[in-house]
Amino acid sequence: MRDKVVTMAERRKSDGNEFMERASSRIDSVPEEKLIRSLMNAFPEGVTGFTKVRDGLVRAKLDRRDILKACRFLRDELGFEHLSMISAVEYDDRFEIVYHITSYQNKLLLELITRTSKEDPSVDSVSSIWGGANWQERESYDLMGIRFIGHPNLERILLPKDYTYHPLRKDFKGG
Amino acid sequence: MAEMWINMGPQHPMTHGLWNLRVKVDGETIVDAQPEVGYLHRGIEKLCEGKTYPQIIPLADRLCYGSSLTWSHLYCMAVEDLMNVEVPERAEYIRVLTIEMQRIVSHLMWLAAYAGDLGLGVGFVYTMREREVFLDLFQSLTGARITYNYPRIGGVAHDLPPNFERDTLRAISFFEGRLKEYEDLFEGSKIFMMRNVGVGLLKKEDALNQGVTGPTLRASGVSYDLRKDRPYSVYEEMDFNVASRKEGDCYARYRVRMDEMYESCQIMKQALKKMPKGKWRVVAPRNAPVGTGLARVEDPRGEGMIYVVGDGSDKPYRVKIRSPIFVTVSAAPKILIGYKVADVVAIMGGLDMCIGETDR
Repeated sequence: MRDKVVTMAERRKSDGNEFMERASSRIDSVPEEKLIRSLMNAFPEGVTGFTKVRDGLVRAKLDRRDILKACRFLRDELGFEHLSMISAVEYDDRFEIVYHITSYQNKLLLELITRTSKEDPSVDSVSSIWGGANWQERESYDLMGIRFIGHPNLERILLPKDYTYHPLRKDFKGG
Repeated sequence: MAEMWINMGPQHPMTHGLWNLRVKVDGETIVDAQPEVGYLHRGIEKLCEGKTYPQIIPLADRLCYGSSLTWSHLYCMAVEDLMNVEVPERAEYIRVLTIEMQRIVSHLMWLAAYAGDLGLGVGFVYTMREREVFLDLFQSLTGARITYNYPRIGGVAHDLPPNFERDTLRAISFFEGRLKEYEDLFEGSKIFMMRNVGVGLLKKEDALNQGVTGPTLRASGVSYDLRKDRPYSVYEEMDFNVASRKEGDCYARYRVRMDEMYESCQIMKQALKKMPKGKWRVVAPRNAPVGTGLARVEDPRGEGMIYVVGDGSDKPYRVKIRSPIFVTVSAAPKILIGYKVADVVAIMGGLDMCIGETDR
């Protein structure tokens, strides 16, 4: 995949300073409500349960099938450049995958919660949108056993490759 | 020339902890790289599920040996968010004071290791010596030098000891003078500059896309600091600048950390000056409600984040820890490719790895 050698001179040429100055993504007044409205317009069926938890933190529930589209929309249209964290939580009847997505320009944090079933815990990978998701998804796979569909290299990362358990699941005793 | 893979690690002077960097070289040039982590995985997230909320504080200290106080502070903030505990104002000022001191200690340890990596042995000894001054202060405050177990859910363990303010101000004025000496020592060294300037360029869009945070992000031209942009604790009351550079090379990362140490001194002085009298701790409930708590801080290494799920009992249902370096090191191939093998030490050293929090 990465076999072309990039010379140092090529790297210096583009410094990418115009990246943050995309005016269309900047939300000016009451960013939380504007974010809620534009997400609801774009995904009228997929998005449920919006709450403004506190200033700068919005929580939303999203259907599992919409996750890839919604994340691309968030990055390209609403200026969420940074995926902070992916957490997987196991409940009695479901797995919840929680995405914390940051917008540097609007100083917002979005908590996006999606559900997946116990029998086949899987969700679309967002590592094509944010490169930083790559290792975090591998970690969730390793420790919780969530399959991320379309991930380029879904292997164990913290535990040995021949390990057979997903230790953060509740049926794994310990801790 | 034939390409080949080289293992740098897990036992290598460059790694500062146990991790492995596999680099694919074509002659001297790096064409691919694969960091491998997990050697220090202790399952802290799983261990948390078997302990009560206060019992986890010393465990959170063990997340990072370089800046343990930031992590126990972050954990306490997340649980306070879950339990809806209001922290007394004096405790918030003490926390700001101590985590800024911790930032200096952490950056000094990085600087010492970095100087050692780049062959500046004298820099190693000097920076470790000044770190000692702050460790002594921590010892007088908490009784420990590395893992302090000082923050509590609802405040801090105890008040400042007598004369702590005087000693801290002395240490700061002593340290500010020494900081200038370091700049002369490092930037006056031709070898140090040659190994730093223009090495390890990380472009702004790569830094954003790869989820890089902290000084590494700020050195690539994104001036984002949670202390300023989403102030927690009492950072709103503090007057300081966010150190950032546009170059995105190793020198910029070094410069950002040096400037941050200076800014930390300013914050500490203001915290001491504005600190009110009063209580330093409130009693937190034993059981947490059903719900979630979230906190994030500007760790010396980047964006630290803890997500706690409570189920009504006295033990957390799930604790998720976001480690800044775990994500930053996954961007290492983006920085390394195209440089020489000899630059690996400067580039990876400049990221300030801490394996304790990477592997958790």
